[in-house]
Amino acid sequence: MSRRRPIWLRSLTVSSLLVWTVLAVFPFLWMFLISFRAPVDAFSSSPKLLAPITFANFYQIWVVDEFWRFAINTTIVTLATVAVSLTIGCLAGYALARYRGSLGFWLLVAALVFRALPHVVLLTAYKPAFFQMGIWSRYETLVLVLVAINQPFTIWMLRAFFINIPHELDEAAMIDGCSRWKAFRLVIIPVMWPGVITAGLFSFLLAYNDFLIASQLMNGEMTTMTAALGNYMGQNTSLSKVMFGVAGAVTVTIPIVVLIYAFQKQIVAGLTAGAVKG
Amino acid sequence: MKLRTFLAFVAPSVAVMVILIAVPLVGIVYLSLYQSHTKTELVELTVEVPTFGGKTRKDTRLSPQPVLDENGEPVRVWKFVGTQNLAKATDLKQLTQAITDPGDASGRGFLGRMYQEVVNIEFWAALEFTLLYTFLTTPAMLMVGLGLALAVNSVTRQMRGTLVFATLLPMIVTPIVSSLAVYWLFLDNSLVSTLMEYLGFGRFYFLADKVTTRTLIILYGVWFAAPFAFIILYAGLQTLPLEPLESAMIDGANEWQRLRYIIIPHLSPLITVIALIHIMDAYRVFEPILVFSSDVYASSVQFLTYFVLSYEDNIHRAAAYSLLTIVGVILLLIPVLRQSFRERQVET
Repeated sequence: MSRRRPIWLRSLTVSSLLVWTVLAVFPFLWMFLISFRAPVDAFSSSPKLLAPITFANFYQIWVVDEFWRFAINTTIVTLATVAVSLTIGCLAGYALARYRGSLGFWLLVAALVFRALPHVVLLTAYKPAFFQMGIWSRYETLVLVLVAINQPFTIWMLRAFFINIPHELDEAAMIDGCSRWKAFRLVIIPVMWPGVITAGLFSFLLAYNDFLIASQLMNGEMTTMTAALGNYMGQNTSLSKVMFGVAGAVTVTIPIVVLIYAFQKQIVAGLTAGAVKG
Repeated sequence: MKLRTFLAFVAPSVAVMVILIAVPLVGIVYLSLYQSHTKTELVELTVEVPTFGGKTRKDTRLSPQPVLDENGEPVRVWKFVGTQNLAKATDLKQLTQAITDPGDASGRGFLGRMYQEVVNIEFWAALEFTLLYTFLTTPAMLMVGLGLALAVNSVTRQMRGTLVFATLLPMIVTPIVSSLAVYWLFLDNSLVSTLMEYLGFGRFYFLADKVTTRTLIILYGVWFAAPFAFIILYAGLQTLPLEPLESAMIDGANEWQRLRYIIIPHLSPLITVIALIHIMDAYRVFEPILVFSSDVYASSVQFLTYFVLSYEDNIHRAAAYSLLTIVGVILLLIPVLRQSFRERQVET
């Protein structure tokens, strides 16, 4: 398309993109900058671009407040959630893409309603029940809850990916004598990885970003990094404690930034697949 | 695919959703219809109370103690109360009073006073801001997203990767962290307030005023959600057919007319989908309310339920709020559900 745009429109475009980029990045950049400062320099009455660097905040949070425990918890919980949601989600997503009956439709509608539910609704029911059953504050509980919350979104997304795999592929395998399960294993699994990686990213993000569920279901040492940030929040927090919170927030952000950098294409593909075809 | 095979494939996924989503929803209804408390009994307790000079005196008094069952657990008494929890949660009594006899809080008209009285009630205040947030951020995030998509579409390819990376940050970074990052910029004595004072706008306390707090949270919502609209609309622009655009240019259509009559109609199905997904997400706004500790000025239904659940530890009241939330979700989804049913009927 060779469109000559008027000069004012072109400068407006470029400048608005610049403004947006600054707006999008700046809060995180500033957080990163002040995490290496003493409280006086971070929230000083004349803002400084450069200030003495200190690692005291990171030392406090990682060594004294034992943030490494929460990092380990986060690793266990997110990896287990991704593994379980993908395993059961792939089976369901594949079946939903291939089955023509009305039961599939109803399942998808139910999943849509479940996806829209605020998580605190479920938490209200979990709280008394889990306490009674004595499964409070355990990895398995949190993982299963996150898998369940993830499932509606995961099956919608994976269904969208599986629909794009031509059904002639597995049907041909079945004509050659494979059972449905064998066709899935031998023909579909080898070609489904791009979709699975994308769905896995979103499961990871949901489990990693969850604050509400983990902060309520897990106590003390069992909590995740994201939920542990709750210890540094609130209006009456002293400034030095706020600084530890900044260091914690930077710690939580780094893996996400790496993830976006490495998987930008898949994230974009997943967002579009979920919305355009779902 | 045969029904049996289908059932076998979806079984694990359905089992997880039934046990951890559907059954808890039934549990919510049950919890909201009951009241419970720990059963106590008056027990005669004898304690030694120190008196003068190291002497003690035996003191016997009646004191309420929890009743323990055979396992040593306190016994809870459950009582059916019907819709009482719901009525209490919505402050029905105060609501009727506010509507029939609004006080004389300000000099504004009858409706204005009535509105003021209604939003003074905890639940209705939370609902008010939730709806305000939802219906202000939705058009705003769509407009920002569309603007970004059009702008990125017209710049050179080399810039796109960086732009998409920057744009994904507000959306993908943990919501608690992104709320905190914004909150730290607007704290008293923090960067934005000191800069504004430095530039001569006077002293600002963003989080101590209703209007600025609400504006800040709504702007945060737009900042957080616009990337989503951008990514999808940008993908939509890539599928824009060239012929109508070219013939429009030959016919002398200007930039605005091309946008209004060709580009937006092409994107409109996507705009509907984005709006629906965003409305579902905005309805459960939680993180900025918690991080900004703004519940005095701007609360949300999900925050209120969380607060009642974790600080007041009142599961029955929380269940009543949850039930109302579910009703709200279903009301919001009715247009989508009707649309799907219609498509389904066309298919079969």
